[in-house]
Amino acid sequence: MTGFGNLARRGAIRAAGKYRRDFDEKIARNVARGRSRLRVTAYLFTAAFVLVSARLVDLTILKAQPSHANIRATVSQPQSDRADVVDRNGVLLATSLSTASLYVNPQEVFDVDKAVEKLTHVLPELDREGLRRKMIGDHRFAWIARNLTPRQQHAINDLGLPGFGFRHEDRRVYPLARLFAHVVGYTDIDNRGLAGIEKYFDDRLRLPMVHPAEPFSVSLDGRFQHVLHEELTAGMDGFHAKAAVGVVLDATSGELRAMVSLPDFDPNHIRPEDDHARFNRATQGVYEMGSTFKLFTAAMALDGGVVSPNGGYDASEPIQLARHTIRDYHGKARWLSVPEIVMFSSNIGAAKMAQAVGTDEQRKFLERLGLLGRTRIELVEAARPIIPSPWREINTMTIGFGHGLAVTPLQLTSAVAAIANGGIYYPPSILPRPRQTQGVRVVSSSTSSELRKLMRLTVAHGTGGRADVEGYRVGGKTGTAEKVVRGGYHRDALISSFVAVFPIDEPKFVVLVLFDEPRGPENKPRLAGGGWTAAPVAGKIIARLGPLAGIAPRAAEPVPLPASVKLDRESQTASLSQTAVARQVSAPATDRASASTTGTMEELLSQILGAVH
Amino acid sequence: MRFGFGLKRGTLPLLAKFSQINWTLVLLVSLIAGIGFAMLYSAANGEYEPWALRQLARFGIGLVLMFAIALVDVRQLLRSAYLIYGVALILLISVEFLGTSGMGAQRWIDLKIFKIQPSEVMKIALVLALARYFHGMSGEEVRRLPTLIIPLVLLLIPSWLVIRQPDLGTALLLIIVGGAIFFLAGVRLWVFGASLAFVLAAIPLAWHLLHDYQQQRVLTFINPERDPLGSGYHILQSKIALGSGGLFGKGFLEGTQSHLNFLPEKQTDFIFTMLAEEFGLVGALALLGLYLITLAIGIAISLRSTSQFGRLLGMGIMTTFFLYVFINIAMVTGLIPVVGIPLPLISYGGTAMLTILISFGLLISVNIHRDVMLPRRGGLL
Repeated sequence: MTGFGNLARRGAIRAAGKYRRDFDEKIARNVARGRSRLRVTAYLFTAAFVLVSARLVDLTILKAQPSHANIRATVSQPQSDRADVVDRNGVLLATSLSTASLYVNPQEVFDVDKAVEKLTHVLPELDREGLRRKMIGDHRFAWIARNLTPRQQHAINDLGLPGFGFRHEDRRVYPLARLFAHVVGYTDIDNRGLAGIEKYFDDRLRLPMVHPAEPFSVSLDGRFQHVLHEELTAGMDGFHAKAAVGVVLDATSGELRAMVSLPDFDPNHIRPEDDHARFNRATQGVYEMGSTFKLFTAAMALDGGVVSPNGGYDASEPIQLARHTIRDYHGKARWLSVPEIVMFSSNIGAAKMAQAVGTDEQRKFLERLGLLGRTRIELVEAARPIIPSPWREINTMTIGFGHGLAVTPLQLTSAVAAIANGGIYYPPSILPRPRQTQGVRVVSSSTSSELRKLMRLTVAHGTGGRADVEGYRVGGKTGTAEKVVRGGYHRDALISSFVAVFPIDEPKFVVLVLFDEPRGPENKPRLAGGGWTAAPVAGKIIARLGPLAGIAPRAAEPVPLPASVKLDRESQTASLSQTAVARQVSAPATDRASASTTGTMEELLSQILGAVH
Repeated sequence: MRFGFGLKRGTLPLLAKFSQINWTLVLLVSLIAGIGFAMLYSAANGEYEPWALRQLARFGIGLVLMFAIALVDVRQLLRSAYLIYGVALILLISVEFLGTSGMGAQRWIDLKIFKIQPSEVMKIALVLALARYFHGMSGEEVRRLPTLIIPLVLLLIPSWLVIRQPDLGTALLLIIVGGAIFFLAGVRLWVFGASLAFVLAAIPLAWHLLHDYQQQRVLTFINPERDPLGSGYHILQSKIALGSGGLFGKGFLEGTQSHLNFLPEKQTDFIFTMLAEEFGLVGALALLGLYLITLAIGIAISLRSTSQFGRLLGMGIMTTFFLYVFINIAMVTGLIPVVGIPLPLISYGGTAMLTILISFGLLISVNIHRDVMLPRRGGLL
């Protein structure tokens, strides 16, 4: 009942005016309060509706626009534009592909079990427990899988899982896979260079001067690399070698054309077990090269006028110096001319020649050839040679025939290029070089000419016969060195190499082939020297590279033997059946001072560490 | 006032009553429900099954009930208020023992033929009981504190029972509606302030009395982000759908978020989102406009009622209606946490539809009997 009802009921006491007026006022006040509160409530309702309407405007009109803009922005802007790497012919060596990567926001995941179940169905390689951990917690972002294929992305989209999303990322791809593994290198998942060109030129690739990035061009040639890779792989398999190195260098500019280190790996899929294979033996491995060093000894002796091309040394007796004996494996036991020393690879002759030049001159000369400093190449994987210290006379003599100084295969190749190209040293380079590159003269052009003759003789009549290729005038030198195994040289563990220059009358390319611990044929396991293993492989490589490089073959010309060379039947077979193996027969096992180094960096390191203990 | 003279205490002829029905209100209710059918038709990808047709049938039944209740004399309503409240309370208690669990909470009583949800019945019953109680109190009495003990008990017992189900959302709705009636009845403002202060002070104490799992539930209610596997996802999808609708929407049956099933509960609690996606901001605001007009008519009816009972009943119903609309839209737009409150007359669901139409029947009854004098203290029944 309301105040109005009261009014009607109490009509009888209306006469009592004052009371009634008070009462009326009270009732009126109550009614007024009731109505005003009703109005307040109505206002509140209206205010609430205004609030909700404003929110709707906010969500549908104001917030909707920027979110669309964001989507467009993320689509059109690639995350990174790391430059491509191409070879000298424009063949793609490394490029970036836009891929999708899956992430999760655990705050939005609806059903963890279902999500784990469905995701592992599409991506079976995912670890269920790890996946579950990523989906639970306070964080709002976790990668699930990087660099998915479009097919995988589509399949995941089809799952319709809430809380999962894709980010577009660039993935580095190496179309030629393992062919350029060591040279081009690879990047980490965030596209930072980790090895090879990718690492050395990381800044240049990552922050290109122009956008879109121009491809980064290198001096390498994919065709050369392919030939080198194929022949080296075949050779390594055929000779059951542990490892192999191949280098093809432009003799006239120092440009690197091809460089292979085996075993190799696929930079698209780096596996933990590739650890050993990732070692670039061409620039990181240091080896005692053996007889190929006789070229340098001959060059420095001839250039310094210490001996004339017709001169020679008595190699009839082994050299006794302190506790060491230097001998030839199949010694001629007579006086040998300089060409004979090189051709038949006489250790005694080379040691005497080096001794005649002297320690200081030898050091300076090898220094100029870039054999005593860090390997000069645009790669972080560039090793320093292992140099004897102190450098005594005995070291001078052993280095004369390639022992006691361990250098990288690339250093050797560029030094041979300098000796053969007319006497100018060009530091090797991965980048294309302008034609008029300034080099450093190391020997006179006449000395270089003499050396080219010696190299040609070695292939035509000496230890390098198996490297000859008809029409391409190959010159070269074998090298065979015993590896250090537990402090002493090991007869059956060899580093067998061959360095070739072709065409020898006008050198264009230097080819180095090196096998680590090759074995000879089944019935002749001892025939594992450079002349038997590396030389034929080098020959096969040259036979294929010649036409590729546009070098016209020429009809075979007889290579006349100089008067100073006596080529008796017996000595030829002897030199071919077993190339002169440099050995220090009587070196005590405890003495590693003179020439204790060979093999790869790892082996050396363990040796050094062993020596410390 | 046409029937005012001489009939204030008598009974209106049935035909006269029928002509007194506020047809504008009925039209509005039907219009909103019609939008509901269209949305349910769209939610089923352009099919009448499974929702639109059934909803139409329920609306038909509800409309009949609405008219029947509209013609009941408001004095009869006043008399039966406590009885209805008592029945509702018994149902609410019996749900503790007989209730079947649905969606992890005990809320339903299975009567074989149909299921009833006692908390829905209580929403109407509480308004009736409180309106009756305050109707019997003069303005002076309302200002006295002891007067408030009985209505507080009337309010808190069902609220507590509903919390136990547990249905925190409905409990809060009951308390807010009850509070609104207290406010409209003229309870002094400081009482509300004091109650609020008391509740805030009691929270830490009550907190320790709750079980661990109950604490977790309350925390999740306040902050849905705590439960990322649940409600957070709904809101995210809802916001995306609203944003994709834009100003004019994608067109009827063209909403991608809803038709591709990104939007959960699109036929029930999130139907407003679907409407906003298909008809845009314009469509959403138009629906809000219809609700606002309905509310305005309801409030006008309450204002015109000569009896305190009619006024409080009308306003109680309108407050409930308003809360439904506001909470639902505020929820789908992410203004407040997700609570299971449907959009009245539009969301798919029988109980809610019947509750709304019955309460509109009561409102129309108040309108028809706006000039009827009601005794301050009637019998208990």
